[in-house]
Amino acid sequence: MKKGVMRPGHIQLRVLDMEEALGHYRDLLGLIEVDRDDQGRVYLKGWTEVDKFSVVLREADQPGMDFVGYKVLNSEVLAQLEQALKDYGQDVEQIPAGELKGCGRRVRFDSPTGHMFEIYAEKEQTGKWGVEQVNPEAWPRDLTGMRATRFDHCLLYGPNIEGTAKLFQDVLGFDIAEQVIDDEGKRPALFLTVSQKAHDVAFIECPEPGKLHHASFLLETWEDVLRAADLISMTDTSLDIGPTRHGLTHGKTIYFFDPSGNRSEVFCGGDYHYPDHEPVTWTTDQLGKAIFYHDRALNDRFLTVLT
Amino acid sequence: MDNHNNRHPQPGMQTPHQVALADSDTCFKAEPEISVLVAMERAGQQLIPVGCRGGGCGKCRIRILQGDYFSKRMSRAWVSPEQEAGGTVLACRVYARGDLLIKPDPPEIAVSCHAADQPDQQNNKR
Repeated sequence: MKKGVMRPGHIQLRVLDMEEALGHYRDLLGLIEVDRDDQGRVYLKGWTEVDKFSVVLREADQPGMDFVGYKVLNSEVLAQLEQALKDYGQDVEQIPAGELKGCGRRVRFDSPTGHMFEIYAEKEQTGKWGVEQVNPEAWPRDLTGMRATRFDHCLLYGPNIEGTAKLFQDVLGFDIAEQVIDDEGKRPALFLTVSQKAHDVAFIECPEPGKLHHASFLLETWEDVLRAADLISMTDTSLDIGPTRHGLTHGKTIYFFDPSGNRSEVFCGGDYHYPDHEPVTWTTDQLGKAIFYHDRALNDRFLTVLT
Repeated sequence: MDNHNNRHPQPGMQTPHQVALADSDTCFKAEPEISVLVAMERAGQQLIPVGCRGGGCGKCRIRILQGDYFSKRMSRAWVSPEQEAGGTVLACRVYARGDLLIKPDPPEIAVSCHAADQPDQQNNKR
């Protein structure tokens, strides 16, 4: 049941070298650099996103994800969900307004998979980048690189994904849109949505806590995914796999790495979900096809390379 | 629009160096401006496991037993400052400055499923 969480709002990623990282997220993915802060963090967004930023890069000596945040309807909902998280038994931390520039107060909480999540109600709305709010043109003409439209979701690896999924379902109102089930009935992969998207966050079971598999950005068309592949080659960027299609979610996709080893995805298309839909199920004996619909074979790098 | 994956900040030196594996008679050439890992891939060899190629995932960890090299920042999750001082590095973040003698040192990475464990690797591949 919906609890007032709207969408993924931001992800903070750790990178080894900020200038190299900007070559990836700004120049190659085509995100818009919108701000920097006195900690040296750089704020970016996809051009269609109305809020001020969705990606925050922080230079550190270990790549990976600091946290991912979800925007809720309003401050009343934020207060309700904060209490619900405490009642559920999560460790909850208050992050004051302005700690991220332009973002209101955030409620940060831990999870069984070892990831840190946040909810917040307010963020400065600067509007879609490069188009007017009234009578908007189709797209801005001065985009670069892959012209990624928005931060879409992330896939996280950790132990006890059932625990984190239950937290997201019971407290935050997410639904299971897609799942992988093994022959003992265990679920090694869960795709959750809080919208009509096939996933707003996804989890894969792994003994190592708090790991990032990828951060994903939306493109409009398959042609855009192929063009992204061209740009990956033109820039000698580290390719993981693709262009291809997933069985899970049926999205069309390509995976590659940022210069610190964090995996990026750009994708288009895919399934939709309504709250009355049963989860789409894939079985582990078809996992190759579930993940790479064309190859129908898994590769170790895709399953085991994490930050 | 260049993530510097194959570039080195000090261009000019162009002599390829030899990278040899300890306890083995295999070796490959490494241009000084491309990482040891990418040099191995370009030589068509599979001597070191390839992961992210960005210093993040730890797959390509090696020990450099002998020779000069330049290295860029790499994840502390896989290489501590003490290990780095002793020649343990990620091959994707090091550039040969002379002939190298190396030994793969991939870390144990705990994961729940490997491709090889999947039944459809035999049954379902086209």
